[in-house]
Amino acid sequence: MTREKLSGAEIVVEELKTEGVEVAFGIPGGVLLDLYDVLDREEAIRHILMRHEQCAAHAADGYARVLGKTGVCIATSGPGATNLVTGLTNANMDSSPVVALTGQVPTSVIGTNAFQEASTFTITMPITKHNFLVKRTEDLPKVIHNAFYIANTGRKGVVLVDLPKDILAGEAKVNLHPKETFAGYKPNIKPNQVQIKRVVEILAKAERPLILAGGGVISAGATEELRHLAEFLGAPVITTLMGKGAIPENHPFCLGMAGMHGQVYANRAINECDALLALGTRFSDRTTGWQLDQFAPDATLIQVDIDTAEINKNLPVDIPIVGDVKLALSAILALLAKKRKKKSESEWEKRIKKMHEACDSCVGDIPKEGASVSEILIKEISRILDDDAIVTTEVGQCQMFAAHYYMTRKPRTFISSGGLGTMGFGFPAAIGAKVAAPDKKVVDLAGDGSFLMTCQDLATCVENDIQVVVCIFDNRYLGMVRQWQELFYEKKYAQTGLGISPDFVKLAEAFGCYAERVEKPEELQDALNNAFDSGKPAVLDMIVGKEDKVLPMIPPGGSIIGMIGTERCKHI
Amino acid sequence: MQTHIISLLVEDHPGVLTRMSGMFTQRGINITSLTVSPCEKEGLSRMTVAIKGSESELEKVRKQISNLIEVIKVVNLGKKDAIVRDLCLLRVHVKDSGARSEVMQLAESYGAKIVDAALDSVTLELTEEPERINRFVDLMRHFGVKQLYRTGVTAIGIGAGLER
Repeated sequence: MTREKLSGAEIVVEELKTEGVEVAFGIPGGVLLDLYDVLDREEAIRHILMRHEQCAAHAADGYARVLGKTGVCIATSGPGATNLVTGLTNANMDSSPVVALTGQVPTSVIGTNAFQEASTFTITMPITKHNFLVKRTEDLPKVIHNAFYIANTGRKGVVLVDLPKDILAGEAKVNLHPKETFAGYKPNIKPNQVQIKRVVEILAKAERPLILAGGGVISAGATEELRHLAEFLGAPVITTLMGKGAIPENHPFCLGMAGMHGQVYANRAINECDALLALGTRFSDRTTGWQLDQFAPDATLIQVDIDTAEINKNLPVDIPIVGDVKLALSAILALLAKKRKKKSESEWEKRIKKMHEACDSCVGDIPKEGASVSEILIKEISRILDDDAIVTTEVGQCQMFAAHYYMTRKPRTFISSGGLGTMGFGFPAAIGAKVAAPDKKVVDLAGDGSFLMTCQDLATCVENDIQVVVCIFDNRYLGMVRQWQELFYEKKYAQTGLGISPDFVKLAEAFGCYAERVEKPEELQDALNNAFDSGKPAVLDMIVGKEDKVLPMIPPGGSIIGMIGTERCKHI
Repeated sequence: MQTHIISLLVEDHPGVLTRMSGMFTQRGINITSLTVSPCEKEGLSRMTVAIKGSESELEKVRKQISNLIEVIKVVNLGKKDAIVRDLCLLRVHVKDSGARSEVMQLAESYGAKIVDAALDSVTLELTEEPERINRFVDLMRHFGVKQLYRTGVTAIGIGAGLER
């Protein structure tokens, strides 16, 4: 730089480049004119113009989940920022590293109800890991650097930086690329060796050990360590929704997802195990069921989490380890290998393998008798897509069908809204995923209700040549709520019918997408091939049974062993 | 429910108080008293928060507050290892000279100072443990408490208490 001073906007863009940002998803606005003026000239950063800020946040989130790299979204002041809120909450709940940049009215009028003013700083405080309202242009280098540092270390999450117009327009002489961090932020990374020893003692003598893998395993990149430990111990691995992909679901030790909509065998394993090693999971009620005393009643509970505040939060545990899952697993493996040799195949191991074989999602593509159309379609998709393909999901029945029957073979290929359960997430997340991995097939498994909440961004896909395929499970209902009404509210379908509008094929075509209706599961393979070959973003409107149900499930208030709808599951 | 006192060392800038109090709000915990003031280190403030709640609830919220980036340190001050003080200003009605001398005697025995006086009232200041202030205020109610102001508790660990 030859000039002595830089504008705030120039500083922001310089720091984004230093942090390795290559893509940003956003929408400009009045107070962001300075930033966009600089950003537009910058070749190193690709800006993707979205059609709704919520989608910008979800796309940044999807991008981050696929790459493990921080996603960036940008929105203007007031409505731009408030539109981001759902997307940011979603990312933060699922510990996905996202940095959001928002415009703000000039500092001189903050707090006066100026045009397009909202107190973004206060609004986003409880939904972010941290946020900043920048008051001086010279603070920008430290703030931007720390935004990225905080977002993608420790328990990952969302950091928002609110940028008033005059701060971006103003100039300052600054030292770029500072290394300085905050005294109050010291993420716990190294696990305590004494605790590791205690865990190894428990695991070494456990007869029926079980590993519950959460999103933290994928986030920490600990999937190899997980597999090694499972094989060494002869321990089955079950996952949470966020942990799906932590172990290949066709691995003989994998029993699939546990919990409310999980696999019966995964839940049985919880009930039977004598030591449970939980990795990077907060024991949400969707995983534990509601009767906590019936969750792993005979087991010594071990919890490994990078966030101290998660230890003992939802479930009291016997041995906590605070730290990075990858480091903890490596330490456990190293010590365990010294302590004992790999045992010969135990009774437990034999039983797991039988369970695995009986377990639907693990077996893969053969639907059982009595299968619903939705189930058959998911299995078809699972069979057709290659190991590297990425699926995202919307929220509701489509999501739980996918969690149950889609066989995930690699980490970071199953992207779903876990904590917040945000309808409308899957499609924009697929946009982010496709931008992150342009060579991979990206499919959004969508409900018709969810898809309509964010479908305007088909325009983004068409304009930017982002070839995602949206597979709509079209039952013209808010299916999951309808299912609950059917099962627990005497079939009174209050406000869950969606009528006949829109025609999804025409809708997609109007946006310039490839579209096709799939009336029968047999038509799916050709339709998917057509979609991938079309060279366009595509929408497949798959007609499913109007009253398809995702079963088995734990009814509300129930325990991990009190699943209903298990008639098709063999007793082992 | 037990009263707990948490002492926080925090960065001194806008928003920190909202962020901290938001943690209690999210868990539906009522803050019974709160003091914020500068401390021995430049750029940092000390907050003393008194809350009512169970031990486990307190522990959960303490950990969540520790996670806040602007919070440097959180100490749970158990009653035994802390010196706890509250400052109270109260204006007591005195209907005649008999009442006036009685109020002044009681004030003296509690160590309260007279900071202002009028024909029909006496204004007292008492710095003490909160429970002792409660007792003093209850006594004064017999005469008629016109106004009562309390700062809320501040607390310091005994010996090396804060350095744990």
